[in-house]
Amino acid sequence: MKMFRKQFGNLSRVSTHLSRNVLAARVAYRDVEMSTNAAPAEDVTSPPAVNEFRTGVTNPGDHSDVQVGKFYTIPLEEKKQIFSGGGLTKKYEQQIKTFTEACIMVRSPALELLHYIKNADLSKPVVRYVLYGDNGVGKTLSMAHVLHYGALNDFLLVHVPWAPNWMKRPKESANSATQEGFIDLPFDAAAWLIHFKTQNSKLLERLQLKTSKEYVWSKRESTPAGASLIELVEHGIARIKYASETTAALISELKQLATAGQCKIMVAIDGYNAFFHPVTRIFSDNKQRVTPDRITLTQPFLDITNYDWTNGVCILSVDKIAMTEGYMDSYLPRYLLGKEGFEHLDPFVPVHVGNYTEKEFVSYINYYLDRNWITKTQPGFEEQLKFMSNMNPYTLMQLVRSL
Amino acid sequence: MAYVPATTLNILRFSKLSRLMSMYPSHFAEPNLNKITDRKSASHIPVKAATNDLSDSIFYGELKNKLIKYITKKGNRNLAKELLNETFETIKRTQIERLNLNKGDKTSVIINSEQLLINAIENSRPLLQLSAIKRGGVKYQVPVPVTEKKSYFLAMKWLLDAAREKDRKVHLPEKLAWEILDAACGQGRVVKKKDDLHRQCESNRAYAHYRWS
Repeated sequence: MKMFRKQFGNLSRVSTHLSRNVLAARVAYRDVEMSTNAAPAEDVTSPPAVNEFRTGVTNPGDHSDVQVGKFYTIPLEEKKQIFSGGGLTKKYEQQIKTFTEACIMVRSPALELLHYIKNADLSKPVVRYVLYGDNGVGKTLSMAHVLHYGALNDFLLVHVPWAPNWMKRPKESANSATQEGFIDLPFDAAAWLIHFKTQNSKLLERLQLKTSKEYVWSKRESTPAGASLIELVEHGIARIKYASETTAALISELKQLATAGQCKIMVAIDGYNAFFHPVTRIFSDNKQRVTPDRITLTQPFLDITNYDWTNGVCILSVDKIAMTEGYMDSYLPRYLLGKEGFEHLDPFVPVHVGNYTEKEFVSYINYYLDRNWITKTQPGFEEQLKFMSNMNPYTLMQLVRSL
Repeated sequence: MAYVPATTLNILRFSKLSRLMSMYPSHFAEPNLNKITDRKSASHIPVKAATNDLSDSIFYGELKNKLIKYITKKGNRNLAKELLNETFETIKRTQIERLNLNKGDKTSVIINSEQLLINAIENSRPLLQLSAIKRGGVKYQVPVPVTEKKSYFLAMKWLLDAAREKDRKVHLPEKLAWEILDAACGQGRVVKKKDDLHRQCESNRAYAHYRWS
């Protein structure tokens, strides 16, 4: 212990008595086990050890300022349910795989959002929260934290992991059959429907939500009024051709159901400003670039971020890298959304996500050391990392990977 | 898995003789990265100017720097650095996975990727080389000892060559990482290449005297 403290210098000065207590508790526990010889063995999924950079509180609803800068673990089941279709960045997924645990740091922007959501009056029109901040600052992960809260607190999740994917690299584009001059993204719409289904299947089964009107897809296919929403979603997945229309139908249904008070909805769209980008990379028949409002998938998501419904929250993030070159000068919402988008969202609650604070930085370094991710621990290495990364989370991640 | 320990850890101790055309007289000291403790006596020793890639940050490693230079193509050093960083990341990832398989037994798995690189290079350094020498109209493959500097060069070159010989679909860092991991535990193509060379030198030992006669 003494050697350890010497090696890591000022990092582990923080709470010695805390870890000592844990140790004492463990020793006591072992004594009990030895004496009675009947205590059950520690099971594998026991809550992870609590120390200066970890917290045992796994329910994001219970997080408060006490837990700021500490890591909490998302149980594997819940991670699979919420994030299997995206929602964590690729690099972070890799990290989770290597570290064999899905840990997210409790940070103030997410706590701020959670505080707003807990105290919001859901009978009033939906409040839009806009996460903004520089590149690599943790907007997506803050959103993931809030999404976890939503999933645990019976919110239906309407989650778009990364909206610019639709505008920048769609799997396939086809002319819309119903709307003249519009473009369908059938595969992406179907993928989104699958994502929606995996996130909400349990809740949908419990709530037994029904469609309000009949949807006629073609001469032979239709979804009758009073069918469950799961049927609607499954139809969209099975008949990819109609996936875009199904998405639109589903979202309008959800809005009505929420307004009627049958469910509450959490809308989370990452890279929301992509919907207001001047052009997309999709070409129409006459070899012209299409604008985002000409894509059928855009409409329902613009619709659900409107304030004409109740019983829901909208968490949107605006991101510089959702734009393309030439439109990435600033990370502020007014610039990224443009006039049109800003007016569409106005009034919204901006939530700024910033670089790590001193405490969060130290905690992150501790976490990396704990996971054996940093092997070079010369004296003063934290200072160097702090200086070089400017405490930016992504830059830190990139710097540390070869150490 | 047991690793062959590196023969020396203080590597790249190139010959201290000054080069013939060096701009510095022979009494000039090499630039030193360590903090000078004895300032008084140090102030009287003239020191060579430091090269611009020398640094005392945690990202600096002497051997690492050398390897970056060998990876570089067309002066694109940034790319080479990026590739080596990615290599180290891959190595670290696989080693941590191994550590998890071993249930956190830290003694059997080395995670430090730079240490692994050093071990790999030490394991693939040749002692002898064959050079063609003409005696009596016939060319003989004569075993010749390799200088320390050249042996390091050859080891790194072989590692890189092995890594570059791959499918187009495989990324260089990935392949390089596997070669380094293999060589670090004394297996793989590079170590085999070194052993083959040594064996050939052994079988040509009868020609050894042609080196001087």
